[in-house]
Formats: sequence, C-alpha cells, structure tokens
Amino acid sequence: MHRIMICEDDPKLSDILKTNLEKYGYDTGVVEDFGNVLEFFKSYDPHLVLMDVNLPKFDGFYWCRQIRSVSMCQILFLSARSGEMDQVMALEYGGDDYVTKPFHLEVVMAKIRSQLRRSYGEYATNTEERVVKHSGLVLYPERLELELNGNRSTLTKKESVLLEILLSETPRVVSREVLLEKLWDDQAFVDENTLNVNITRLRKRLQEFGIEDGLDTVRGSGYRLLPVWENRK
Amino acid sequence: MKLFLREHLPLVFLHIIQLFIILLIYWLDGYRNLLTGLYSIFLGLVLLSGYLMYRYATHKSLYVKLSSPMETLDESIHGGGTAPLSEAVDVLLQAQYGHYQQQLKQAEKSRNDHLAFMNQWVHQMKTPLSVIRLMMEEGNDPRAASILEETDRLEKGFETVLYAARLETFERDFKVEPVNLRALIENVIHENKRLFIVSKVYPDLKVDPGLSVESDAKWLGFMIGQLVTNAIKYSAESHQKVFFTSAVTGSEAYLEVRDYGIGIPLSDRKRIFQPFYTGDNGRQYRESTGMGLYFAQEIANRLGHGIELESEVGEGTLVRITFNSYLT
Repeated sequence: MHRIMICEDDPKLSDILKTNLEKYGYDTGVVEDFGNVLEFFKSYDPHLVLMDVNLPKFDGFYWCRQIRSVSMCQILFLSARSGEMDQVMALEYGGDDYVTKPFHLEVVMAKIRSQLRRSYGEYATNTEERVVKHSGLVLYPERLELELNGNRSTLTKKESVLLEILLSETPRVVSREVLLEKLWDDQAFVDENTLNVNITRLRKRLQEFGIEDGLDTVRGSGYRLLPVWENRK
Repeated sequence: MKLFLREHLPLVFLHIIQLFIILLIYWLDGYRNLLTGLYSIFLGLVLLSGYLMYRYATHKSLYVKLSSPMETLDESIHGGGTAPLSEAVDVLLQAQYGHYQQQLKQAEKSRNDHLAFMNQWVHQMKTPLSVIRLMMEEGNDPRAASILEETDRLEKGFETVLYAARLETFERDFKVEPVNLRALIENVIHENKRLFIVSKVYPDLKVDPGLSVESDAKWLGFMIGQLVTNAIKYSAESHQKVFFTSAVTGSEAYLEVRDYGIGIPLSDRKRIFQPFYTGDNGRQYRESTGMGLYFAQEIANRLGHGIELESEVGEGTLVRITFNSYLT
C-alpha cells in the first residue's frame, strides 16, 4: 500500500484527489495545517507527495526544500503557474515532476504511477489491474482482453477503448462525441468514419462471443451496450 | 541664428531710429558736418554689432535648443548655457521634465500593478477550473460533456489574457531553440480536442516528423493555437478537415493551416491583422475578439517568422507561416 500525501489548500480539489487516489488503491494523507507541513510529513511518512505551489504562509517550493532536507521521497508539483521559470524552480528545489492546473485526472494518475515505478521498482506498485465488467462480461483494458464464460479473445487498442466506456456505462447511451474523445487520447485524431468502422469491428468481435445486437445504435445521440448476454448464463 | 536675428530685429530698428533722431536734432540745431554725423552712426552700429555678437555668443546654445525640435524627452534637460535667461529656461524645463517623469513613473507603476494583479487573478482562477473539470471527469453527470466544453473555453480565455499580458514583456520571455513542428502541432490539436469533435471538424496532419524550426515553443504553440481555433470556428459543421501541411524550400520552411470553411470577404482581408478587428464573420460568430490574428502576427514578427493569409469566401482560408531557419 503506497502512501500519498496531498498538500493542496483548496479543500475541494484535495478531496477529489483523495477520493480518486483511494479508488486506485493508494493510502492518502491530507495536510490540514499549512504551518506544519514538515511535521505532518514526518508523522505520515509518504512514498509520494502532491505539492501545490501557492499555499498559505509558505509556498510549495519552501516545503519542498524542507522535505528534501529529511527525505528523498518523490515530490510531484501541482501548480496554476505555467511559466517556465516556475517549472525550473520546482525542479531546482528538488521536485521530481510538475503538473499544471487545470489538469486531467488521468495525467496526474499516470505521473504518480510512473514516479512510484521509478523509485520503488516496476512491480512494486500494488495497484490492482483495472477490470471493467458487467454481469459476466469482463474486459481487462490493460491487457486488451475480453472474457465471457471462460472464452477469451484479444482486442485492438481502439476496440478496447470503445468497449471499456460502453461497458462501464451499460445500458446508458454514450454519445459519439465522448467516444471520439476517448479514442483521440491515443495520439491519433480519429474522424467519424474511423469511429463507424471501429464500432462495426466491435460488433463483429461481440458476435464471436455470441452477443448479437448487443451494441445498439441510438439515432442522433450515440451508442449503447445492452446486456443481452445476461439471460444466457 | 535665424531665431536670434528675428528676436533682435526690433532692437536693431530702434537703435537705428534712435541714431537718426539724435542726428536730426543736431541737424535742426544747425549742425551741418555730414562726415562726423555718419561716423557717429557707424560707431553706434559697431557698438550694436558688438553687443549682438556678445549676446549671440553667450546665448548660442539656448537659441540652438529653442530652434531645433527635440528628439527625446531627455534632450530637454541638457544645458542651454550659463547666461541668466538660459539658466532660467533650463530650470523651467527641468521642473517640467521632473513632473512628467513622475507622472510617467506613476502610470507605469499602476499599469504594472494592474498586470501583476491580473496575472495573479488568472492563476487563482485556475484552481476552481481544475475542481470543476475533475468533478466532471469523475462523475457520471450527463451534462459533463457540455460543462467540460465550457471549461475548455474558459481556459482558452484565461490563456489568451495571460499571453496578451506577456506580449508586453516579450523580450524577456522567449527562448529560441529547435522546435519539432509536428510534436508541437499534435499538442495544440490535443488542447483543442473537444472543440474539434463538437464542431465535427477533424485535423489532417501532413507535417514531416523530422522537421524542426528555430522558434520559441511556447509562443509558437499559442500562435498556432489561435489559427486552429479560427479554422475550427469558421468551418464548423462543414464536415471538412483542417489541413496542416509543412513544406521546405531551399532556405525556408513553411507551415500551412488550411480550412474549407466560410472564408473571409475581400473587404475584411486587408484589415484582418489589426487588433480588435472582427470583420463580418466576427459579428456573426460568438466570441470573436478580433485579437487572434493580431496576436499571431505580433508573435510572428517578434520571432522573425513570416505570416500571410489567403482566403476566398465560401472556399476557406489558408494561413502560411514562414520559418527562415530549420533542421531536418
């Protein structure tokens, strides 16, 4: 269980970070008293610190130096300042990486994971592999594998991305925009035709598992995955 | 010299009239020696010329200063000589200069304070924006997509304000280095991801992955961002693509951003790079500040890139950035 200390003075933001980190299986400690960040650090002894730059009393750079004087743990800065000077300062004062606000959760999570891997070894991260499932149909997005009643098959990256979101939203409709956005994260700028092609491929893939008409097109709004495989267990 | 003569012309006249009046009085009194009379006039004129020469010599710098236009504010306080009049003028000018300087300093200070406050405020606004975004990303709110789109727009607005403020201090805020054009554009496209998708316009990237240009990544990114926003805005719903094409000729590299949107009317094309100029399209589309292309051109000029625009109404618009040094 990795411990992550959250040093962010906006209560809502630190709350969101806390919830999400815990969802991913990390232990979190939230700093309450910004006059005694170092004491909190010593008592909590985290593996990684999320440090905001603009804090009451002293700024994040100051606390970063303080922490560095007693520990070599990972420090990840969160800041609204996007000036290069600030990023340079953050790294100068002993920060390991830098995320600018407003950030995406995925980015912060990815950076935390990579920092922890870097310092505690590839397999030391004890976070669970992500699993998306609904009544027996199981998707392992990181392995690109789909499983139903013991049958397994491998998906392409794009199919997996589409299925992951459709499956987690079952049986709600997912709009084409949202699907496109998810596909875009993969560094390829996908247009509508490519989306159509991939939806068709995904239909075929589901048919291999005997799921007919599970992937439903809803005119004018998007697609939904109907759990038609439920009744045939 | 001219000013000096004009200034002393009445004195010369007065002097001559005075001499003649004195002679006339002697003449009327019965004195009839013409040569002596002329000699006394000559003496009088010599004395006058002597005085005028002395006067000119001592006040020369003052007259020069008075008759040549000032190039800078600083020139006004540099010496006008040691004669009482020159000194008095200098004191006056220095006092005036002092007051002006004080007012300038005050204006500058309040402007800097204002900029600093604005910068700080924009940065502070980023935290609430982060909170909204994260809340929307984690929840299953059906309105999330729409709210995220709005936060994107807010973020863009903030970014523009920050860059506009930085433009003033550009000289201290840029670093020219080889920038990989394709990577930079991919980044810009990602920042505008939602805008692309919602507008149903898709990017088409034909930029040589090995091409790097000498530029500042941050400013160039912002500049291309402005062009991308325009391209998307004016070709929304057309189901067309926005094309990014790079080309290299002997000594220059080009980047073309092309859209097949509504284009720009000829009447607007000439003034498109002026600040606050929105033109016909801007009045029909929301959120045109008329500043995008102005910023783009300002930044291009400062980085030493060329920028030109071609457009036909109904055909679309092409913006070409020219880089005069590149590596492949």
